[in-house]
Amino acid sequence: MYATADMLLTSPQAHAAEQSQEAAIEVVLVRAVLAGDREGFARLYDLYAPLVHGILLARVPRAEVADLVQDIFLHAFKKLHTLRDESAFGPWIAMIARNRAVDFHRRSKETVEINDEIRGSDAHDSKAREILELIRGLPEAYRETLVLRLVEGMTGPEIAARTGLTAASVRVNLHRGMKLLREQLGSMEGL
Amino acid sequence: MNDDYLWDKTGQPDPQIQQLEEILGTLRYQPKPLAIPDDLRVPQRRNYLPLLAIAASVLLAIVAGGIWLRGRSRSEAPKIQAKVESPTPKPDVTPVLPEKKSAVNPPPVVAHNRRRNRSASSAVENKEALMAKEQLMLALRVTTQKLHLVHTKTSPANQIKNQHRVG
Repeated sequence: MYATADMLLTSPQAHAAEQSQEAAIEVVLVRAVLAGDREGFARLYDLYAPLVHGILLARVPRAEVADLVQDIFLHAFKKLHTLRDESAFGPWIAMIARNRAVDFHRRSKETVEINDEIRGSDAHDSKAREILELIRGLPEAYRETLVLRLVEGMTGPEIAARTGLTAASVRVNLHRGMKLLREQLGSMEGL
Repeated sequence: MNDDYLWDKTGQPDPQIQQLEEILGTLRYQPKPLAIPDDLRVPQRRNYLPLLAIAASVLLAIVAGGIWLRGRSRSEAPKIQAKVESPTPKPDVTPVLPEKKSAVNPPPVVAHNRRRNRSASSAVENKEALMAKEQLMLALRVTTQKLHLVHTKTSPANQIKNQHRVG
C-alpha cells in the first residue's frame, strides 16, 4: 500500500524534514546578516514577527505589542553577533520577547491598566479581546501556545520548530490549555 | 474533541476551535516593515582564538618558569648544606687512663653549636674545652685512686695482715 501525499505531509518524518529545512534557512539568513546583508534580517523578521507578536500578545496589552515587536527585532539586529547557535534564532528571539514582556510589566504597570481601559471601549473586537483575556488568565505555558495556535494561526509543529520546544510539550500544552479554555468559555454566549 | 485539528489543522475540523480561530484571527499580526536605521550595523563576532592562544602561551611560560626555578633551588641545596655542616674540629686529647675508660663519656662540648660561626672563636673554645677535659680527667683519677685505697683498707685480707703487723 502506497502512502498518499497528505499522509506524507502530515507524518512525523515530514514535520521533521520541514523543521530541518527551516533551520537551514535560518542558518543561511543569520550568516548573511552577520556578513552585512540587511535584507537577510528583513527576511528573518518576516519569518519570526508572528511568533514574537504572539508571545507578546499573550503577555502585554495589544496596543503595546506592535512597537515592542519592532524594538525586539532592532535589539536582535544589534545583538545578533552574540547568537552562538545560528540554527536557534527562533528560540533566541522568543526568549528576548518573553524577557521584554517581563520588563514591560516591571516598568509601566499603571500605563498598562489605562491602555486596557481605553481599548475596552472599542466594540469592534470586544469578543476577541474578551477571549484573549480568558487565555491570558491561563497558566503561562498554555496561553503562549494557544495564542500562537488560535491567534497567529500556526500549527503545533510550527510552534515547536520556532520556539525550540519539543513537539510533545507543545501538543500537551495545546491539549490542556484548550481544555481549560473550553471550561472558561462555557459561560460565554455563542461559544 | 479532535486533537489532530488542534495540533496541525488536519482531520475533522472542530467547530468551536474554528470559531475561536475566526474571532481571534482579528488580533493576528499585521505585517509592518521593519525600519532599521541606516547607521545601525551588526557588530562582527569577536574571534577569541588569538586571545586564547596568548593566554595559553603565558600560562605555559609561567608553569615552565616555576618548574625551572624549582629545579634550580634543588640543585643548589647541597652547597648550602655543605656550608652549614662544616666539620667540627675534634679535640686532640689523649686519654689519661686509656686502660680504664669511664662509663661516662665526656660531653661533646663543641659539637652542640654546629651552626654557629666559629671562625674567630674556635681556637679559644678549643683551649677551654681541653682544659675542662683535663680537669675532669684529673678529678676522675683522684677519685679512682681514693676508692682503690678505701677498698684496700676495708678488705679482710688486709685487716689480718695489718693485725699481724700490729701484733
